[in-house]
Amino acid sequence: MSYHTDTNEGAEYLLMGNDAIVRGALEAGVSVASAYPGTPSSEIIENLAKASADRNLYVEWSVNEKVALEVSFAASIAGLRAICAMKQNGVNVASDFLLHVALSGTRGGLVLVHCEDPGALSSINEGESRHFAKMNEVPLLEPGDFQEAKDMTKWAFDLSEELRSIVMMRSVTRLSHASGNVKIGRLPVPKTRAFFSYSGPMLDPETGPVLTMPVPPHHALLQEKIRKAAEIFEDSPFNTYTGPARPELMIITCSACSLYCREAVHLLGAEKRTGILKLGTTWPLPPKLIRKYLSSTDTILFAEEVLPFMEENVKVLASEMASDIGIKKFYGKNDGTIPMINELNPDILVEAIKKILSIDYTAVDPAYAAKAKSFVSSMAPVRDLTFCPGCPHRASFWNIHNALAMDARSGFVCGDIGCYTLGFLPCGFNTMKTSHSMGSGIGIACGFGKLTRFGMDQPILAVCGDSTFFHAAIPALVNAIHTKSDVIFVLLDNSGTAMTGFQPHPGTSFDAMGNGVIQIDPAAICRSMGATVEFADPFDIEATQDSLLRLLEEKGARVLIMRQMCALSPEKKGKKKYDVSVDQAICVGENCGCDRLCTRIFRCPGLVWDFERGAAKIDDVICAGCGVCASICPSGAIKKTEASG
Amino acid sequence: MRAGGPHELLGGVFDRDLCIGCGACVSLCPYFKSYKGKTSMLFPCTRSEGRCFAYCPKIEVDLDDISRAMFGEPYAADSLGRYRSVHIARAGKNVGSGTFQAGGTVSGLVMHALKTGSIDAAVLTGRNGLNPVPAVVTDINEVAKHATSTYTAAPTIAMFNRASQEGYERIGIVVTPCQALALAQIRRNPTNEKNYKDRSALVVGLFCTWSLDYRKFRTLIAEHVGVAAVRKFDLPPPPAEIMEVHTDNGIIEIPLPQVRERVPHSCDYCFDMTAEFADVSVGVLEGRTDMNTLIIRTERGEKAVEEAVRDGYITLGELPAENLDHLRAAAGNKKMRAFKKANDEGLINTPPDKNALFRIPKETIKRI
Repeated sequence: MSYHTDTNEGAEYLLMGNDAIVRGALEAGVSVASAYPGTPSSEIIENLAKASADRNLYVEWSVNEKVALEVSFAASIAGLRAICAMKQNGVNVASDFLLHVALSGTRGGLVLVHCEDPGALSSINEGESRHFAKMNEVPLLEPGDFQEAKDMTKWAFDLSEELRSIVMMRSVTRLSHASGNVKIGRLPVPKTRAFFSYSGPMLDPETGPVLTMPVPPHHALLQEKIRKAAEIFEDSPFNTYTGPARPELMIITCSACSLYCREAVHLLGAEKRTGILKLGTTWPLPPKLIRKYLSSTDTILFAEEVLPFMEENVKVLASEMASDIGIKKFYGKNDGTIPMINELNPDILVEAIKKILSIDYTAVDPAYAAKAKSFVSSMAPVRDLTFCPGCPHRASFWNIHNALAMDARSGFVCGDIGCYTLGFLPCGFNTMKTSHSMGSGIGIACGFGKLTRFGMDQPILAVCGDSTFFHAAIPALVNAIHTKSDVIFVLLDNSGTAMTGFQPHPGTSFDAMGNGVIQIDPAAICRSMGATVEFADPFDIEATQDSLLRLLEEKGARVLIMRQMCALSPEKKGKKKYDVSVDQAICVGENCGCDRLCTRIFRCPGLVWDFERGAAKIDDVICAGCGVCASICPSGAIKKTEASG
Repeated sequence: MRAGGPHELLGGVFDRDLCIGCGACVSLCPYFKSYKGKTSMLFPCTRSEGRCFAYCPKIEVDLDDISRAMFGEPYAADSLGRYRSVHIARAGKNVGSGTFQAGGTVSGLVMHALKTGSIDAAVLTGRNGLNPVPAVVTDINEVAKHATSTYTAAPTIAMFNRASQEGYERIGIVVTPCQALALAQIRRNPTNEKNYKDRSALVVGLFCTWSLDYRKFRTLIAEHVGVAAVRKFDLPPPPAEIMEVHTDNGIIEIPLPQVRERVPHSCDYCFDMTAEFADVSVGVLEGRTDMNTLIIRTERGEKAVEEAVRDGYITLGELPAENLDHLRAAAGNKKMRAFKKANDEGLINTPPDKNALFRIPKETIKRI
């Protein structure tokens, strides 16, 4: 029995945080789910898609986060419950619409789950989307463990309908991707009838047209919703307190940090001196609850990831209440007690608490720590961040790097978001020189391409994956073509949203639920905009470099589609095209004429330096059989033959 | 001689903007590539010694060493280098008609050597648009297609390296003075390679006063005429001070100072106008654009000329003394300018721990 469909109320499952959110949404009777993939959020839609047939859901991978929210919103104002998931910076993409959704209000429960990545384990930013809740006047929830993730998700739909407002719910990597026990609840019969009522009075939230205008009354209504939310939150079971009635130190925390706080207090044996107020409703804050707990102590420590969002909001309330509750001593991010970057962990909390409470405690013997560190640096093998064996991006960057180096005019690549973001590292031959938000590579390149009047004569390339192309690159490419910007747009088409797990995108022929959909052709889009479009197979080193060198001589916006399927794609994985071997007698190795090009520069993990023989060899276990190394070997020592099967 | 590696080559040649793009370091390894007249290093190489450094004509060139290896004598205190005889020459009756830059002597020598089999391949430099493109030619009928001056620096030695790897045993090659110098370095096997074999059989040098940077030259030409329409270039003798661009629609004249601005920095340090390390050197005869000056420098050069004359591929005549004086003066001026510039900038005979552009006994400079 899968947790998606189990009707056995009270059954217990070991669930990832994202699975718990899925179960919560199913228990809420969700009908529509939409998202753009992004770690650590992607499993939510994947699992809702698995339940789609049984639970009569519509689930889609949308072209980007803004459209995903629009799709879910439509379901809401047609009376259905809908969930929309994204990673932290996805909220930035959706934020323009979010501002207007808050103002227009919703009907069926609408929950925006944003899974954030403190420490940027799988991101190129450490963005905090909680501020969007405050900025756009939207209630914000933060589950503190796995059971809460499930229960809070279900409740978020009720809350959304009670307030007629979208509700944001924030998870973090250590909640979304860690697992814990979850008791499941009842699965309802989902609503099946969607209808959009619009013929009522202009400002009627249930029957009128859904607009943000006239703005002042809508805005006043929105602020009323936030006041009401604060009232509801005063009694929320998701705000919990453990500890003595009058603690020496009050830790105010939320999300996964609440687990670290409990562990740290336990390690220090400070349970009798310390209270932990775990807030599940972090915007708006319930003022009476905050007053009650601030009154119980004079010393407060804030524990949250990443920015002092809750900390600053509590401090505003504390200053307003100061005449009643007295002056407090605050520890947190603003005074440097807790770092304002990266994830927290129990060690950080231990250090903070022992300093505040003057507890003598050594978590790790310094001598042991030093010894462990020296062992790690001397014995652990160097493991670079790198592309997989057989990855088309290694070959693509090889070609781009070599073409730019031969061209010798200091050309460079503006990067984008995907596995190929690693192109700034040695695995991409340090070819990529800028990397920002999705679709920004071509946007930045477009700007560079207009600087010729200021003497800039460096060739400019932008690289972009196929999924990113649809997500946000098209408007920038329109701009580049329209303004005759001198750029080469290289579409690294590996046939799927590879980095996050092969989710379909508009260029693929099936949707999240496995149904056939209309496949959109990037080449046709580019051509229709007036760009010249060429194709290259990045595994064909010579032809691809020739194409690049030729394109580098031309002007205006040029499109080169480098098409080669991801080595891990379901169609390709485990199937070798070539058997690859090294003739070690021919291998030039470290001598003049090679200097270990394949194992020192190209560095596919499938290539290994044989120290004993002073020659390269193939690691047959991980070699993907792409055969590219045979093309780059200067001496012809690497041989490839068609794989027998 | 001092050995060095790619790191020193980068510092001593590339960073000083001394690379002329001859291609001596290209086609030996995956790191150095030549494109549109420029040599680039694609990736760092960690070797402390390499052929790239040893073959380069722009770093640690020991002129006495090279001269001894080639002529058995130290570097000559003569503005024309070491030579056996000087003549006027032109293509013979068996060459047929073609578009030669001048007298067709080079084509005659190369065609004859291919025909008799004294060379099994010729490395020549043709043009694709304005881009010089070296090629391996084995068909005598293909020679004439490469018989025009390119004026832009070309990676001809890269093609020699490749032809050697492809197994040609007796390669004829037409080179500029800097390329001849690179080839002279290669031919003495400076890295003591096992199984090294000198695969050059006839080195025909071309007189050269300067070359042009391909991209800059192309931009200049494009300002005057569609590049596709260009057939050949010519530099009429002084006091013309123009470059003639022969196009499908007639001749366009570009003021020479504009052209000279596109001369690579590296040419300012070049002391060799007459390709002193070739077997024979050929230039346009002063005052006679249909004739060549021919300098014979080596025994095998002498033999090649004699046989080509015998078989009607070139004809020889006597060079008037006045012409020889002028040639010597022009070559001497170039040499002295280069020596002075290199010396002023501390690039000659540096201490052993610092790479020199070239090394030459002070005494020799004085005598020149």
